[in-house]
Amino acid sequence: MSDQLTYPDVVQMAVPFFIAAILIELLWIVLKGRGGRYETRDALTSLIMGAGNVISGIVLGFIAYGFFMVLWDITPLDLGTAWYVVLLCFVLDDLRYYWVHRFGHRIRWVWASHVNHHSSQHYNLTTALRQTWTGTFTFMMIVRAPLILLGFHPAMVLFCGGLNLIYQFWIHTEAIGRMPRWIEAVMNTPSHHRVHHGRNPRYLDANYAGVFIIWDRMFGTFVPELDEEKPDYGLVRNLGTFNPIRVAFHEWVGIFRDATQPGLTWRQRLDYCIKPPGWSHDGSRDTSEAIKRKHLARNPQDAGTPGFPEGG
Amino acid sequence: MPLHILGILVVGGIAGVAVLLHLLGLSRVRRFGDEAAARAAWAAEFPDIPANRAVLCRNRAAALIETPQGPGVVWPMGADSTARFLTGARIARSRDGLTIRLPDYTAPRIRLTLDPDEAEAWLTDLEKTA
Ligand SMILES: [Zn+2]
Ligand SMILES: [Zn+2]
Repeated sequence: MSDQLTYPDVVQMAVPFFIAAILIELLWIVLKGRGGRYETRDALTSLIMGAGNVISGIVLGFIAYGFFMVLWDITPLDLGTAWYVVLLCFVLDDLRYYWVHRFGHRIRWVWASHVNHHSSQHYNLTTALRQTWTGTFTFMMIVRAPLILLGFHPAMVLFCGGLNLIYQFWIHTEAIGRMPRWIEAVMNTPSHHRVHHGRNPRYLDANYAGVFIIWDRMFGTFVPELDEEKPDYGLVRNLGTFNPIRVAFHEWVGIFRDATQPGLTWRQRLDYCIKPPGWSHDGSRDTSEAIKRKHLARNPQDAGTPGFPEGG
Repeated sequence: MPLHILGILVVGGIAGVAVLLHLLGLSRVRRFGDEAAARAAWAAEFPDIPANRAVLCRNRAAALIETPQGPGVVWPMGADSTARFLTGARIARSRDGLTIRLPDYTAPRIRLTLDPDEAEAWLTDLEKTA
């Protein structure tokens, strides 16, 4: 009866490990005087965002799960529960993560949920826990539909998603420089993910990977961390508040205000929801492409280097 | 894991980490070393709009920025900083300086700690330009 299939809630089980790892990283930074930075209000906000994410999962999780169980009823396929099926599920779910994450940076409706993960100017293990409260409203559970229709049980898919999230915890640190070459080649690492959190023009829209960095290499979004350009963490326009409610909802408020302003066509209203962050109907704001273009205008020698298109 | 154990862990963990950070002295707010630092903090948020002039407040926690597109302010966000234009700002005296309210959901209120005479001067300055 694979309808009754259950896996442990690994993210909840990992909470004590998260706390212990944060204390170890903090101790390391304090003792060594390097390897990252902590600040009280920033860390507190990140941790509250993490707790809110767990609560939102408990409160709203049934929506995605209900959707998945409907698909599971529809599909005639059942791949079973062998270990190699779980392994395959983990790899394919990581591909799913790559695309959801890429949409999260390229579609403002999805960015509205994901933006808060990038809203800290710090990069430490608490940043990993700065997770969205509003993921359900992005409808990105649709991207998991093919997996379930292929015959991976919903509980298995969510189990793999939880493992994926736990993997990504440890890479949110400046205490680790580079991992051995073969690991950097295949896996997402602190170095690769620091690039993803960078607001430097060079590092925008890069390294969407969850566990395996190979997806970025395959789909052309990989940018290596350059020793000569340290990532500057945060948003292109940094927040002026630590209030968790504002951190969680600010981009949704922004979409609402933009899309409901007077004098727009319906197409423009829709575009404020689905175009990349920074799009505006009058060109008064900058998308990541515009930011990169302006950077190249100021620094033409950077054309063709990692993260920038060829000049001309 | 039973929900109440999870709750205790989460609340205790968050409170514990926050108290520890504070005791370690990691709640210190950023200070701008000089006007160049304040200008650089402005440039980090608005790279296209040059800061013609930066006026640091006495405790060096914030600066008024003059730009071709109007006045702005840089102020600390914990150990870091951010910046905004003062378009549509409502500025009022507070007990220890000025409070700036912005029509911006991501930066609704900026509290500046200023000496009384300094607060008066900033207010006059801002009423001229903002
Ligand atoms: Zn991201
Ligand atoms: Zn991250």
